[in-house]
Amino acid sequence: MIIFENVTKKFPLGNVALENVSFSVEEGEFVFLVGPSGAGKTTILKLILRELLPTSGSIFVDEMDIADKNFSKILTLRRNLGVVFQDFKIIYDKNVFENVALSLQVLEKYSFLEIKEKVKEALSIVGLADKEKVFPIQLSAGELQRVAIARAIVGERKIILADEPTGNLDPQTSWEIMKIFKKIEKEKTIIFATHNVDIVNSFQRRVLVLKNGKIVKDLRKGKYEF
Amino acid sequence: MRGFLISIKRTPFQSAASFSVLFFSLFLTFFLLFSLAFFEGILAYLETRPQIIAYFQPKTNENEIFKIRDELVSSGKVLSIKYTDQKEAFENYKKMNQDNPLLLEMVSADILPPSLEIYAKKPIFLPQIAEYLKKQASVDEVQFQKDILDRLLTLTSILRKISLTFFIYLFLMTTTVLVTITHFKIALKKEEIEILNLLGASHSYIRRPFLKEAFFMGIFASIFAFSIIIAILFYFQPFLNSYLQGISSLSLNILNLNLLIWPINWSFLSITFLVTSLFGVLVSLFSTFLATKKYL
Repeated sequence: MIIFENVTKKFPLGNVALENVSFSVEEGEFVFLVGPSGAGKTTILKLILRELLPTSGSIFVDEMDIADKNFSKILTLRRNLGVVFQDFKIIYDKNVFENVALSLQVLEKYSFLEIKEKVKEALSIVGLADKEKVFPIQLSAGELQRVAIARAIVGERKIILADEPTGNLDPQTSWEIMKIFKKIEKEKTIIFATHNVDIVNSFQRRVLVLKNGKIVKDLRKGKYEF
Repeated sequence: MRGFLISIKRTPFQSAASFSVLFFSLFLTFFLLFSLAFFEGILAYLETRPQIIAYFQPKTNENEIFKIRDELVSSGKVLSIKYTDQKEAFENYKKMNQDNPLLLEMVSADILPPSLEIYAKKPIFLPQIAEYLKKQASVDEVQFQKDILDRLLTLTSILRKISLTFFIYLFLMTTTVLVTITHFKIALKKEEIEILNLLGASHSYIRRPFLKEAFFMGIFASIFAFSIIIAILFYFQPFLNSYLQGISSLSLNILNLNLLIWPINWSFLSITFLVTSLFGVLVSLFSTFLATKKYL
């Protein structure tokens, strides 16, 4: 489903974020990207999202070459991806329902009733069914992250990219968020960047360990070892 | 409409600035259109006034005058001719000088000349008609208002050019300001736009709320500018009535359609409103489209 072939990413000032990285992720897999800050975790996610293009090498997401410049293909790619960020990226003047609905509205193919139904379903998965009319300012950090997860999983987005989604949360809330990821992993392919050792070790899923822009370990059902 | 109101609520200063610049431009556009229409109307009115008056020698035989009149009518250049004989001329003279008995005593019908008041079909026929009349032995004097008409034509032409230049300036100024304001709005929504991009929103989806807002802004600014212009027009109506005293109506001929502009006529006002609203909506949409194309 996701293939990286000898991918290198250099930034204009010369710093190398990724160097000759190759890996593939199968449909339905849950993969942790681990490593210290600056190891290249976020760069991998940004490359999959096509926010960045590789300096060399190829990346295929759902059989689409992300270097393809055809804009409709880029839209198709992004419409298959759900993204969860450390800083939530929630729109503060839209309520919970509107924030989640946005993910479906941009597809421009669902009626309001269909959107309503799917948003309610996503909100019940993340445990916010009773807060759809609440505005983000009234929510806790954990709840905001749940809204972001609901926005990522609603509809038919097959791949979830999570960039340190528990980075701003206390341990208790982080576990609650991880329970949601456990709930949805059967239906989605998940790439989860984190440096939270406890989470990675308790999940026992595939772990890609990054260091200085290189994959140093690829562990099936692995643990995060320093 | 809901999105439009939310956008105003979220960016009140930018929305107020957009509205103000659109209102200002549309108000001036209305003003220019009304001024031009009135000027053209007055010109059209003056063109229907007697444009040449030929005074005959007092003892000219009436048949000779009628012969000249018939020849002019058969030339196809004349819209209408009015003959004033010596008696009627004397009556007119008496009316004009009723407060001055001395002048009335000095003049009798015999010394006043009979005359023909000629209305040409087009201003360009005036010199030809005047030339023809001057050649007639019985014609004593030809009063030709060509100079006045020429001056009015020149003035109208200058006003048209000034209006066009000003209109182009307004268009450019409004476009520049609206592009800048839309740029601000885009900057304020940077994070939301970034999220929409990540979710796979198309350019048109992201651009649509800006264009919808521009559309409603154009409509509301037109309505507001039109209402103010109408209020001013009605406020000054008594003044205009006295200024245009004696002129029963002013009209314009546009595309073979005779449009009454004075006294105040709602058909004319409606057409002006539609044209100006269209300009307002188009300039607003065009500017927003430019800004979203450049900055999104």
